[in-house]
Amino acid sequence: MRKASLSLLALFGIAASIGAQPLVVQSYMSDEAPKNAFAALVAEFQKQNPAIKVTVNTVAHEQFKTQLVNYLTAKDAPDVLTWFAGFRMQQYAMKGLLEPLPESTFPGGSFVKEFPAAFKPAASYNSKIYFMPQSWYWWAVYYNKDVFAQYKLSVPKTWDEFLSVCETLKQNGVAPVSIGAKDTWTAGGWFDYMNVAVNGGTAHQKLTGGTVSYTDPSVLKTFGYIADLAKKGYILENAASYSWQEAVTPLVEGTAGMYLMGQFIMDSVPADKKASIDFFSFPKVGRPDYGVDTPTDGFMIPAKAKNKAAAKKFLAFIATKKAQDMMNVTLGRLSANMTGAIPNAEAERGLAMVKGAAFAAQFYDRDAPEEMAAKGMNAIVDILQAPDSYKDILTALDKERVRIYADLK
Amino acid sequence: METRKNGPDARKTLLTLLFYVFSTLIVALWLLPILIAVFTSLKSMDEIMGSSKMWTPPKVLHWENFTRVWNKVGMSAYVLNTFLITVPSVVGALLVSSLSGFALAFYRFRLNKAVLVLFIAGMLIPFQMLMIPVFRLSDALSLRDTRPGVILFHIAFQLGFCTFFLRNFMRTIPFSLVEAPRIDGASEWTIYRKIIMPLSISSLAALGVLEFTWIWNDLLWSLVLIQSDSLKPVTLGLANMQGEFVSYYNMTAAGSIIAAIAPLGVFLLFQRYFISGLTVGAEKG
Repeated sequence: MRKASLSLLALFGIAASIGAQPLVVQSYMSDEAPKNAFAALVAEFQKQNPAIKVTVNTVAHEQFKTQLVNYLTAKDAPDVLTWFAGFRMQQYAMKGLLEPLPESTFPGGSFVKEFPAAFKPAASYNSKIYFMPQSWYWWAVYYNKDVFAQYKLSVPKTWDEFLSVCETLKQNGVAPVSIGAKDTWTAGGWFDYMNVAVNGGTAHQKLTGGTVSYTDPSVLKTFGYIADLAKKGYILENAASYSWQEAVTPLVEGTAGMYLMGQFIMDSVPADKKASIDFFSFPKVGRPDYGVDTPTDGFMIPAKAKNKAAAKKFLAFIATKKAQDMMNVTLGRLSANMTGAIPNAEAERGLAMVKGAAFAAQFYDRDAPEEMAAKGMNAIVDILQAPDSYKDILTALDKERVRIYADLK
Repeated sequence: METRKNGPDARKTLLTLLFYVFSTLIVALWLLPILIAVFTSLKSMDEIMGSSKMWTPPKVLHWENFTRVWNKVGMSAYVLNTFLITVPSVVGALLVSSLSGFALAFYRFRLNKAVLVLFIAGMLIPFQMLMIPVFRLSDALSLRDTRPGVILFHIAFQLGFCTFFLRNFMRTIPFSLVEAPRIDGASEWTIYRKIIMPLSISSLAALGVLEFTWIWNDLLWSLVLIQSDSLKPVTLGLANMQGEFVSYYNMTAAGSIIAAIAPLGVFLLFQRYFISGLTVGAEKG
């Protein structure tokens, strides 16, 4: 036994010392399609840079999130990490755990040569850039066209139209709104879209920034609309027992009519049903303009990374149009690079919707501190289950807001 | 009085019948989730997402899910990694705890009870509480992201239960079996090695099976300590089938079935020790 463990130890020592210029990429792209697309991308980089030996470690997405702090603070931190733009990244830049990316890192010589200027705030902190955007997608109301055709419904543009669509669906035994609230982030979409539709983008930014109370009359109004949907029975029954993906099935089957979700919902719609599922922009609630959620995914470098030069080289490669197309055209998402190709007609419509928006948010759990968003999303799920006590739930939530933002300082 | 003669017999038959009906029902109920897992593992993702009836058998049998999980998803490497972590951990934990169990069972020293309580107290701490200290310690010792690191932590964490279990078993061994060889001049090591160990085989085997299953199924420590794909055990590999966007239920089910085979095999192999080993010493603490 002792001999065996000694030789085992020796074996590890050898394995660790082989290979010059290693570059360790820690990735949360654990589903098959993105994983394969990313592997192809890495192979291309490897071909161009034979002196660098890239190792990609893939970690299940949800577990990656829980382990990120470990990766950032470990002695032998990985060189490149996949992550999200917005506050979710900035909180680590604030603590000095991330390596800033000088403008010269970007292939065109500056951030704005490659990416829309609108992406810059979410990718930087304190006027330094820390984040290399790769792809983004939009959120919208996805609906079953067959169901709408069967009950002669048209796409609702205003809240009143939306409610009447819900009523018709409910009368016919179809759950109007599907939501997989076991994954509480599904409620985050409702929070963003509803609040921006009611109060506008600037007010929403203040709320996720922590300077507006959750018991403010304007916020109460937002949550009043959500509570109203639940009170009228427009939400899928037992929503809290479904994961987001399990709640797609009712939409596909036609036992539910609509689902507020990100573009990636199409990944889990069966091939023969894809033609039946389409999206429309969130209905307007008394304001002429509208907002969108456009979560941006990309990469960052830990401050403790060992091989920062190679890591920056890798990020510069990721930023190019060619590299972004390799990934995003395959997956049907939109490239952060301005010159990136638009993968299909669906993406063209999504892009048009985003371009027409007056305000673009990342997502509740990316704009607000993680803990705040977690509490907030739980609160929305609670409201869906007990809509009558939504004011009490928000009062409790606001106490958390005061504590969480005070802790940040 | 004549009629009552048949009474107990008829009642016994009825009870036996009821027993079989109920136990069959309970077994069927227990097997239902496994059956659904088998169905799911043989379906295509489109079939799963297209219908909410998870209990229906697959329309087309997709056996390739298993080969895909084994080859493309890399289950073969994950299974091997799990073996390389589990076997040394179980052997190490049994080795160390049989020594501590031996000491606590046969040596009379003042802090004997206190040391035993310490071992038991260790069992009561939820492991989640130790995640950060373990991470910091292994990072400082450069044991993070190495196989020996995970193995050492498994041994350390299983030590409490194993020691408690083996000490209780060894207490049932008559003390004269230790005393007699001592008088004849046998060393303590010889007593442990030649007398106590052979007598403990059945409880060591039972404990080994338990430990094997527990360490095999561990997710937490591998998640905290392992970063490289090349070292990942099966539990992390299964979790990897849940992506940022899509979870592959069919792959996860196929992978879970593969992952369950080894502990099942170990259990079947050692099951004759299992019941006897667990209950030996049950009547004497």
